[in-house]
Amino acid sequence: MQGYPEGYLSERPRWTTPAGLVNLIGGPLGLVGRRLSMILLDMAAVALLWVLVTYAFLWYVHGDIGYTVIPWWLFGLFVFELAAAWNSFGVAPSQRLSGVHLVPSEGGRMTVWHRLLHFLAWHVSVLPIVGLLGRRPWHERLSGTRTKRVESGAIKPAPWYRTSVGIYAAVILVVVVVAALGVTVSMANLRRLVTDAWRAGNIWRAFFSPDTTILQTVVRDLLVTFFMAVLATAFAVVVAVPLSFLSARNLMKGPVGRSVYTALRGAMSITRSIEPIVWAIVFLVWVTARRAPFAGVLALVVHSIADLVKLYAEQLEGINPGLPEAITATGGGRLAVLRYGVLPQIINPYISFTLYRWDINIRMATVVGVVGGGGIGQRLYAYLQGHMYSQAGTAMLLIVVLVWAIDYLSSRIRAKLA
Amino acid sequence: MTEPYLRIEKLTKVYERGQVLALDALSLDVEKREFLVVIGLSGSGKSTLLRCINRLIEPTSGRIMLGSVDLTRLSPERMRKMRRRMGMIFQHFNLIRRAPVITNVLTGRLGYMPGWKAMLGMFSKEDQDRALESLERVGLREKAYVRADELSGGQQQRVGIARALMQEPEILLADEPVSALDPATSHSIMQYLEWMNREREVTVLASLHFLSLARRYGTRIVALKDGQRVFDGPPAEIDNAKFKEIYGEDAEEVEVR
Repeated sequence: MQGYPEGYLSERPRWTTPAGLVNLIGGPLGLVGRRLSMILLDMAAVALLWVLVTYAFLWYVHGDIGYTVIPWWLFGLFVFELAAAWNSFGVAPSQRLSGVHLVPSEGGRMTVWHRLLHFLAWHVSVLPIVGLLGRRPWHERLSGTRTKRVESGAIKPAPWYRTSVGIYAAVILVVVVVAALGVTVSMANLRRLVTDAWRAGNIWRAFFSPDTTILQTVVRDLLVTFFMAVLATAFAVVVAVPLSFLSARNLMKGPVGRSVYTALRGAMSITRSIEPIVWAIVFLVWVTARRAPFAGVLALVVHSIADLVKLYAEQLEGINPGLPEAITATGGGRLAVLRYGVLPQIINPYISFTLYRWDINIRMATVVGVVGGGGIGQRLYAYLQGHMYSQAGTAMLLIVVLVWAIDYLSSRIRAKLA
Repeated sequence: MTEPYLRIEKLTKVYERGQVLALDALSLDVEKREFLVVIGLSGSGKSTLLRCINRLIEPTSGRIMLGSVDLTRLSPERMRKMRRRMGMIFQHFNLIRRAPVITNVLTGRLGYMPGWKAMLGMFSKEDQDRALESLERVGLREKAYVRADELSGGQQQRVGIARALMQEPEILLADEPVSALDPATSHSIMQYLEWMNREREVTVLASLHFLSLARRYGTRIVALKDGQRVFDGPPAEIDNAKFKEIYGEDAEEVEVR
């Protein structure tokens, strides 16, 4: 039943009723959408690996980071083939995420023949998309395989509902208050939104007729933004991890420790309260606009450090002191206590917060770009300034795709870590 | 007249915050291979006493002599080495919840490893064999690669015991080892402590809440009240009057069978 909408196969209402009609169309559509997004995820993973490998290679050869421009359709073809191979001969990220692997439908062991068939069938199934319809997609039928949930003796998921009347009441209260405020404040705009709709017509028309001729430029800028976020997050982690230990109240005792703690916490909260856009402007002046992406990265780094130190330190303050105590009692030294008393309690939250921050940085990198901090944001702003709405539409579409993909990925991983 | 094995002299601990006097010039001699049970109300100083012995808590004043060594005067590094000879088990087990049982048991060897090896988790083959032996000893050999938080309370405490066994301790400090467990499991845990005491010749200092357990397993009972010793003697000597003195007039004895 994997991948089917709830109740799609178990009870099919007659298609003559409105609900039945929705189910008849919506069910398979949702199914194809889900399978397709999984495949796109794999292709994105392959593309990312590809880019990283070429970067590393070029750096090795030329001693500098550069691009190799191959036609984008060729790049796409490679990515598609590699994703197909990954799904057939290995365990692709999508399979790992949904916790399934490939087994022969007749039972027994997987052979190379099964895998080869699966790989070939992939082309006739995934390319026309219709192959993804049905209980089992075509490539699995043609190769005599099916996906099976990996059994694990590992952790059972906790029930997702852990709630009470109090939480419901609080949520309802907040929703009512926010809605009331929102309606009051935006009333005047609401009327104009309807009457002045025609004004935006041209822009929307342009937005929805994307200009594909600039795809390569836009994708390149998107990559710049992506790596700005990666770089900023990586830098920030390296600085924030040690600082977090100095900003944890339970580790910083004595007069000296306490003053370090207070000073750091103060500095971080001031830094955090200054928006990344402001930092970007400061750094643009500092490192000059010729290195716009660098200025953008610096802005993100500063803000990320301040944010991560707070999140990390709060995690450190919340650890159970019993475990470090137990390791101390065995005669373990400082490092042993750190490694076995503290680390196990913070490692997952730290990774989780880092992913969360990376997710934010992807979006922030775009915003920072608007003030001239490089990447897709800068490009988008230039298009909008020049009234090039088709081009802006293309850029926005790709931003949406990137942000959605990263958001999805990071939330899936974080859910696993919790 | 020979020196006692462990001599505690006028041990005092004042907690700075709130100015609480946890131990009030407590003196106590412990002989080798004794199974000493410390009883008393919550806040009577039981935990503080045990933690002062391995200096998880720094005493305010007084001396703790182990043979001819004054533990309160040792440098942090010498104290760290000394702690290897003192196993400790805890009320809430204090295991690495997400790590497999075997890793938890291996942490008992951390005191015998240089810091960088500890950091990299490079446990020797002998240590790994020893860890499996220890687990065998507490009947958890087949749970070696299960996550610690998947075990029941009693099993987790047995992992705690296996961890302490890894240190090859001379002294075992047990801080309310069964307070988080049900009565049947409590007996099983106490029997492991008894085994360590009798077969491995480990001197045991255990704090307990239930007098019935103290009577059953202790070779000697010390009762604390407000950081002072109010009873010291063999289990049989605690009668109803003594009991009321330790736990207050309104207390009723609860049996654990």
